[in-house]
Amino acid sequence: MATQRLWNSMAAQGVLHNKNFDAMYSMQLGELWPSVRVSLLSERKYGALVNNFSCGDPVTDLQSLGCRDFIASSSTAADPFSPPYSGSHQFYQHIVNEGTGIDLARTFISPNVKCLVFPKGDTSRFKPARLDSAGLLTYYLMDAASVLPVLALNVQKEESVLDLCAAPGGKTLALLQTQAVRFIWANDWSGSRMSRLQRTLNSCLPHDLLSEDKLCITSFDGREWHELGGNTFDKVLVDVPCTTDRHSLIEEDNNIFSRSRTKEKRNLPLCQTQLLLTGLQAVRKGGEVMYSTCTLSQLQNQCVVEQAISLANQELGITAEIVDLQPFTTLFKDTFHFAPDLNVGAMVLPHLTANFGPIYFCKLRRLS
Amino acid sequence: MCSHTQESQTSRASAQRHGSELSLRTLLDMGFTETQADQVYEGATKILGRKSVTHDTSTITALLALGLNASSIVKIFDKCPALYTEKGAVVQQRIQNLWKLGLVEGSIQRVISYHPHILTIPAKRVNAAVQFIRTKCLFTAQQMREILRDSPEVAEEDLNELEHKFQYAYFRMGVKQAEMVKAKLFKVSMEELRCRHCFLERRGFYQTPDKKGQTLIINPKLKDILSATEDIYLSQFAKATKEELDVFRKLVAREDEEKGNTLEHWDIE
Ligand SMILES: C[S@@+](CC[C@H](N)C(=O)[O-])C[C@H]1O[C@@H](n2cnc3c(N)ncnc32)[C@H](O)[C@@H]1O
Repeated sequence: MATQRLWNSMAAQGVLHNKNFDAMYSMQLGELWPSVRVSLLSERKYGALVNNFSCGDPVTDLQSLGCRDFIASSSTAADPFSPPYSGSHQFYQHIVNEGTGIDLARTFISPNVKCLVFPKGDTSRFKPARLDSAGLLTYYLMDAASVLPVLALNVQKEESVLDLCAAPGGKTLALLQTQAVRFIWANDWSGSRMSRLQRTLNSCLPHDLLSEDKLCITSFDGREWHELGGNTFDKVLVDVPCTTDRHSLIEEDNNIFSRSRTKEKRNLPLCQTQLLLTGLQAVRKGGEVMYSTCTLSQLQNQCVVEQAISLANQELGITAEIVDLQPFTTLFKDTFHFAPDLNVGAMVLPHLTANFGPIYFCKLRRLS
Repeated sequence: MCSHTQESQTSRASAQRHGSELSLRTLLDMGFTETQADQVYEGATKILGRKSVTHDTSTITALLALGLNASSIVKIFDKCPALYTEKGAVVQQRIQNLWKLGLVEGSIQRVISYHPHILTIPAKRVNAAVQFIRTKCLFTAQQMREILRDSPEVAEEDLNELEHKFQYAYFRMGVKQAEMVKAKLFKVSMEELRCRHCFLERRGFYQTPDKKGQTLIINPKLKDILSATEDIYLSQFAKATKEELDVFRKLVAREDEEKGNTLEHWDIE
């Protein structure tokens, strides 16, 4: 029965073998789940993060293919009332009250970060980036939604940044594209992934930017990192390890839900909470921490944030508040599908017409 | 069983009386109105060239003999001008073959009116398709006749394509022969079948049955999936927007292309 087997294996590519996923996510996302599900099981979209440090200009070329920079062309403040999702009245109220919320969100966004995407519904692919005359990549392909946590972190001139879980380096690179960072500390526990980060940075950055006074690369366990000293960074990015829904959905053997990895799964939210606590300790008062994941799981998103805030308060005497990201996400509603009605943080839901994400991000401001 | 109209009976009689060269005159004599005769004559000259209209009327005679009336015949040639170029005797023999395959009175007229193309295909090829459906896909004789009646296109289809479609429905979707017949599976293109099924599957609304034929959810019937208009398919079964389906269609086509249709030999237990 060779054919039977063949068809079964073909079936496996399209089928979720794990009931847990359906049960968990249909409860969490309700009617939105089927659209997210089919997107997770279909080809994802990328964005081309333009490398400002390369002397090539890929933008004109990419634009001629139909791409546009989703950051520059984000919704204008003149259009704050077209709904990201119908029915969120509260949301309008909020915008009206804050008045300049969107304008404000806009002014904080780095003018230097450019990320080109193909429009909604367009399934074209990017060609691999070319090298410029200095041997640097003209752009770097990554999930365009991954740029959002970086943008929302609003790195300002001369700020210092800690990137606690940095490998393979997509977000580190995006942070550097702001050209605002005075100093960045990129850390990742995994040595092998750290060498990938090194490669990413080498392929995109000129040597002078890789000097020690601007960039520090380490490989510590981020949960222990605060022992190196805290309260210093202006901004911290905590992009934690998580269940990668796109992969775990399809690859049964390496599925984080499979029995051999159950322990890891159980420990994941704990590990994530610890990493976020490190971030809160590392940031200065008034500074901001961005927590982000690439999973839809509430347990690894909202719950971790809430848990970390309360633990920081009780055990470390650190108070932190959640920053409202709605004005920010409104700017990008034409490019991404954001989950509606999220109280804590923001989430990009994959959708066939804009198959980015999933990305969850939540910004915390340290008060004391 | 079949009731011939007065018109077709006189036509039949006159067809036999008259000489066999195709001309306006003979067509009128065979019972075509002037407009109909013009249409048929024009059609024939267009494809055969004015000079070589030495074509005889035997194809028309054969169709009349089946009880098809003049206006149906006009439509038949309209749908399939290639039929003008077939020899009457050959067409007659192909019709005979359809009878032999078990298409009954009524069915045979329906098949020819709906899909006149079948009369341009060698009987050998039709028989090969039928043989394939019977012995490789294990449809019963009755099911085969229904397939031939509802989807005469199968006679023309590439056997590999037929095989692929059947296997897909059987193994991948877990659908049995009887349900395939009801769903008129062979009317639908492989792309459409795959697109409609995969879309549902990835959205979580269809599951391949396990070895015991069980699924965790209740699958919609193949017939419903395939016969629904796109709007109904989207609203009732896929619960999705047209934009999503349009993108999905493109993505699945690309997946297919890149995977390459590498199917091996197969057999059913
Ligand atoms: C989601 S990935 C980071 C992706 C990266 N920020 C980017 O944008 O390319 C999570 C990373 O966390 C690292 N990691 C896992 N546990 C860690 C720990 N305890 N301390 C620091 N890094 C850890 C993993 O090696 C992995 O590279």
